[in-house]
Amino acid sequence: MTNPIFWVGVLTLAAIYASLAMALNVESGWGGMWDLGIAGLLAAGSYCYVILTADPDLGMRFAPGLSMWVAWPLSALFTGLVAFAIGAPALRLRREYFLITTLAFAEIIRQLVVIQADFTRGTLGIPNINRPFDSFVTGRDYNYVLLVIAALAAAVMYLVTRQIGSSPFGRTLRAARDNEAVALALGKRVNRMRIQTFVLAGILIGATAPVYLFYIRAISPQLFAPGITFTVWTALVIGGLGSIRGGLAGAFVLIVFTEAVGLIEVDPAHINILVAIEPMLVGLLLVLVLRFRPDGLFSERDSFGSRRTQAERASGRAATASSRPTAAAQASD
Amino acid sequence: MDLVLTEVRKTFGGVVAVDDVSAVMPQDKVTALIGPNGAGKTTLFNAITGFDPPDRGSISFGDRRIDGLPPWRVAELGLIRTFQTPVGFTTLTVRESLLTAATPHFVETPVQALGLGRRARGHERASEARAEELTADLGMADLLDVRTDELSAGDRKLLEFARSLMAEPKMLLLDEPAAAVAPANIGRLSQLVRRLCDERGLGSLIIDHNLSFLMQIADEVHVLDRGALLASGPPSEIAANPDVMRVYLGEEQP
Repeated sequence: MTNPIFWVGVLTLAAIYASLAMALNVESGWGGMWDLGIAGLLAAGSYCYVILTADPDLGMRFAPGLSMWVAWPLSALFTGLVAFAIGAPALRLRREYFLITTLAFAEIIRQLVVIQADFTRGTLGIPNINRPFDSFVTGRDYNYVLLVIAALAAAVMYLVTRQIGSSPFGRTLRAARDNEAVALALGKRVNRMRIQTFVLAGILIGATAPVYLFYIRAISPQLFAPGITFTVWTALVIGGLGSIRGGLAGAFVLIVFTEAVGLIEVDPAHINILVAIEPMLVGLLLVLVLRFRPDGLFSERDSFGSRRTQAERASGRAATASSRPTAAAQASD
Repeated sequence: MDLVLTEVRKTFGGVVAVDDVSAVMPQDKVTALIGPNGAGKTTLFNAITGFDPPDRGSISFGDRRIDGLPPWRVAELGLIRTFQTPVGFTTLTVRESLLTAATPHFVETPVQALGLGRRARGHERASEARAEELTADLGMADLLDVRTDELSAGDRKLLEFARSLMAEPKMLLLDEPAAAVAPANIGRLSQLVRRLCDERGLGSLIIDHNLSFLMQIADEVHVLDRGALLASGPPSEIAANPDVMRVYLGEEQP
């Protein structure tokens, strides 16, 4: 239970989910587009990366055998293209219609991967995916390398999304989410900005895909079932929809919690019960967080503008207000 | 540069909401649009601003046809409207709302967002100065960092007005600007509308129910009744028009 390698793996996975949650926050938190197609975009990026770098000996119809450093940015761009193909029709819809459509597109992508077995090896999957620097560091020590890569990816994602959030583009995105009619009346090209945001989120998810593959090491279509979408969403909602730090914190809380539940030692005869109640415990965590922090651990309110509200200014309590987010973070530890 | 309506018609099912309205609203004058509830005033606003295009007729602003253009395009041409119920950008602060209104589209791109362009920063600073000046002018400087959903209805109305000005309009379309505004502030509002028109040549088209407010500031008044234009003319003439009196006060019993 105290095996450090295990916890290195957990933190790596948490960092990957944190990256995905921060990317999701751009389109769903600020853009107001409730995208349930993350699994599909992740699949597009992952398969693009795998096909471009695959060993020609595996007998796939298209295997250019590119270097991973070339394939990585290409998969990000390809995922952006896929996001455009999904977003252009889906963004004509609103709210739950958009949500259902993105979910359907994700399933279409997964089924395409199964059917196009000449290119993807279908349900057979592809084992032993190459990982960066694995010729220098071998064995169990490689897990530390992977943690560094995932942490760096999450750090880059944090900086990029923070830059987007603090830009005029991010501000207008939030404005159009709050009130589309007013945004239009001020000359905002709302539809165009939403498609741009959807594609941007696709690129960010596609850029995260290879890191996910380095961690998983083998790819197969069932990896990209809708479950992964809901895990990313749960992380973001726990952390706080609309807040980057929320996506980051939510992913770590959720993944560490889920993995810790798996560590509970039970009689082998009862292991199936533990497996069955694991989702229930995750649900309980979600309910408890939302009961006491309805906006999540961090809220959008803490991230933008001033933290001082009118009432607080009137009663001169502004100083205590600014310390609120930190106190909340400590309470959640 | 005038706003010209030619036989504009809009129906909803069998109901004729706007019935062949033709009118000229000069860009540098204050024009009032009055009429009882259901006369088609807001429908006409929606037709002009592209939110609900007319079925027939043409609308032009200056030398451009604007009927059929999307709302954001109409706004870009300088026709900035406000809404009857001032909800605004609920989670944005007053400062953020004003900056959003002032930001041109070439600054709001992902490329600028990722810091790959330099145009955003200079523009942002200039807008910030304008926002501070404008809020000071409107007596709401202390509200700059308050979120829109924490403002009173009156302050939200004021923000709506300030936001429209930040968008550098060529003409304002104000949908009931005096509703929900404290009587004491209505005087300030009419002064402001008048001053913008006289000093800066920024005209407005105003819908309101407060006739005394409109009669004070309007250069020209159009009266709508059941979708059709009943009378047009300077306020003094309209006030004396027996048809208008009948529409507003009901038929005189013999």
